[in-house]
Amino acid sequence: MTKKIFRSIISVALIVLLSSLVIATTFLYDYFNQTQVSQLKAELSLVADTVNDVGIEYFDNFDSTVFRFTVVAADGKVLYDTEADASEMENHVDREEIKEAIEHGKGSSARNSSTLTEKTFYEAVLLDDGNVLRISVSQLTVGALILSMLPAICAIVIVAVIVALVLSHRMAKKVTEPLLNLDLEHPEDNNSYEELSPILTKIHKQHKQIKSQMETLHRKSDEFEQIISSMSEGLVLLDEHGMVLSMNTAAASIFSVKESAVGKDFLVFDRTTDMSKAVEGAFSGKHSEFKTQRNGNEYQFNINPIVSDGKTLGAVILAFDITDKAFAERNRQEFTANVTHELKTPLQSIIGSAELLENGLVKPEDTSRFVGNIRKEATRLVSLINDIIRLSQLDENHEPATETVDLMDVSKEVVEVLTVSAAKRNVTLNIEGEPQTIYGVRRYIYEIIYNLCDNAIRYNVDGGKVAISIGKENGRTAVSVSDTGIGIAPEHQSRIFERFYRVDKSHSKETGGTGLGLSIVKHAVAYHSGKVTLESELGKGTTVKVVF
Amino acid sequence: MRNRFDEQLLMLNKKMIEMGAQCEELIALVAKALLNGDSKGANEAKTKGHEIDQMEREIESICLKLLLQQQPVARDLRVISAALKMITDMERIGDQAEDIAEIIPFLDGRTGAELADFKPMAEATCKMVTDSIDAYVKQDLTLARHVCEHDDVVDDAFSRVKDTLIKMISENTADGEYAVDLLMIAKYFERIGDHAVNIAEWVEFSVTGTHKGE
Repeated sequence: MTKKIFRSIISVALIVLLSSLVIATTFLYDYFNQTQVSQLKAELSLVADTVNDVGIEYFDNFDSTVFRFTVVAADGKVLYDTEADASEMENHVDREEIKEAIEHGKGSSARNSSTLTEKTFYEAVLLDDGNVLRISVSQLTVGALILSMLPAICAIVIVAVIVALVLSHRMAKKVTEPLLNLDLEHPEDNNSYEELSPILTKIHKQHKQIKSQMETLHRKSDEFEQIISSMSEGLVLLDEHGMVLSMNTAAASIFSVKESAVGKDFLVFDRTTDMSKAVEGAFSGKHSEFKTQRNGNEYQFNINPIVSDGKTLGAVILAFDITDKAFAERNRQEFTANVTHELKTPLQSIIGSAELLENGLVKPEDTSRFVGNIRKEATRLVSLINDIIRLSQLDENHEPATETVDLMDVSKEVVEVLTVSAAKRNVTLNIEGEPQTIYGVRRYIYEIIYNLCDNAIRYNVDGGKVAISIGKENGRTAVSVSDTGIGIAPEHQSRIFERFYRVDKSHSKETGGTGLGLSIVKHAVAYHSGKVTLESELGKGTTVKVVF
Repeated sequence: MRNRFDEQLLMLNKKMIEMGAQCEELIALVAKALLNGDSKGANEAKTKGHEIDQMEREIESICLKLLLQQQPVARDLRVISAALKMITDMERIGDQAEDIAEIIPFLDGRTGAELADFKPMAEATCKMVTDSIDAYVKQDLTLARHVCEHDDVVDDAFSRVKDTLIKMISENTADGEYAVDLLMIAKYFERIGDHAVNIAEWVEFSVTGTHKGE
């Protein structure tokens, strides 16, 4: 800026200087020349008149410093000269002004000196005596004049440069100051050059645009962060070199990462061959998934490539905790195995007995025993299937009709049904407490009390007692069934509600039962949003309490 | 030029971690096969061992290329030379695990009381290998030093196994070949532990610039 301004100032100064110099010299020089010539002429005529009067002797006492006078005879011989010795001077007959004077009475000419630094003007006049009087004066030529002016010109140029420097500096500062002080954060508040206002408005607009775009971006990335951090699945994003771009909290806990993982190689956190192969596959555009155990939990990993415009930009690793699912899977497999086993055992027994009867291998007196066996096993099968049907109904959670159920009524009904089997084992059944009603499904409540009492009788001792007590506990209706039976060891207590779980591992048929009773109780109670508690001591008895 | 160098160093690091992971998996596989008396693991161990050998050659050529073409100095040089030493140890671990796998079929699936002593030994060795690789991956000095200290556990377990086997032979409760096989396995485990210590020491060298031996 300063340089540009300086350059323009200095060039203006120089152009002005030069042009004025040229104009001044041309005009003034011409003017001076003319004056000089006319002055010469006047002087010459004056002196010529005097010489005509007085004669050449006039010059004897002549003293002139300005003009030079020469008297030349008609043959060109110099008779007198104010500055030089006339006798030593050459013949002047060829000089233009002399020739002219002799011919026309007057002559004039101008000649440059041999060095070109001086110009001499000559005027000559023919005297009365035939001699020629010449007057001459020398003055500097244009070039010499300018040359002599050079120091002054230089001085002026130097002064101009200095002034230009200072001025340009100041001007640049003055011009740029408002520009430098522009507040670009608030472009519209500026009060500077009018010419800048379109630019400032544009900047203001772009400011606003950038701000809104940044806000959108922030909001989006915040949203993304929120979503992935509250995800229960682990999510890891990798760039094309396998470096971690983002890892959510769930993933950090799966890979046991304590500090920030961003920017590190994913291999640092998981270097198992399965994973590195899957990640490598993702980089070549393949999707893969595998299951593996980590920190005692089961996980399923899904690895997908991130593809954009046909180029793989990275990979996404999604980790699902499938521990519960795997557990449920195992449970189901176990259940199926148990069901088939439970169904097969009585059937095998039936087939065996039937085959023996068919082949006539049974003595006639034993026939009724074998047939009885078949009937017993078939009954067992039916009761087992009934239990399974009931359980699956409870599992399906379809909504049967609910009504007000009197627990006392239901208990009496159960006791009536079970009296026979209780009498067989010599167990007495009692109902205590007062009538209570709850709102629920009568059939399910019957199942609860029936199964609990059935177990209480089945696993009782000879001459034992079973008591059903109905009452209120902390304002909630409760039924408890206690027996004086064999009890349940603590290690089994947490598991007896599982399907087909038997304290007696041999699945013995001695006591009967399907192993599904307590499971049905659990589901039926859960259907009524109740709670089952179990208290038992080995050899002393068991109390099961259901609170609705 | 430098960018390419950094890229190659990253690549080296990646390959090292992969090789370490393979060693880990191999030794875990062999330990499981031994404790379960399962002779099927031997074949799998062989292919894995072969892979480890190949990785060693691959990493070796990467290291040599880096040394020749980039002429690294200071830390980079340390990392590369330590890598060269480490892969030798990893390869030895792989070989010895393979050797154990080769012996397992001759044990005829016996998993008697004498194997009880092997369980802590195999577990301690696996942990040492895992920890030494972990120390490399995370450039963790404390873990590296921990590996060096852990070696005593494996050494103690080895002498216990040795005593048991000597007793077995003197009481003549087992045939000599079986006892010698077991002794070899124990020795291999002990050697694997030593190699893990070596790896840990090289990790320390690549981080600090001083090797334990100096």
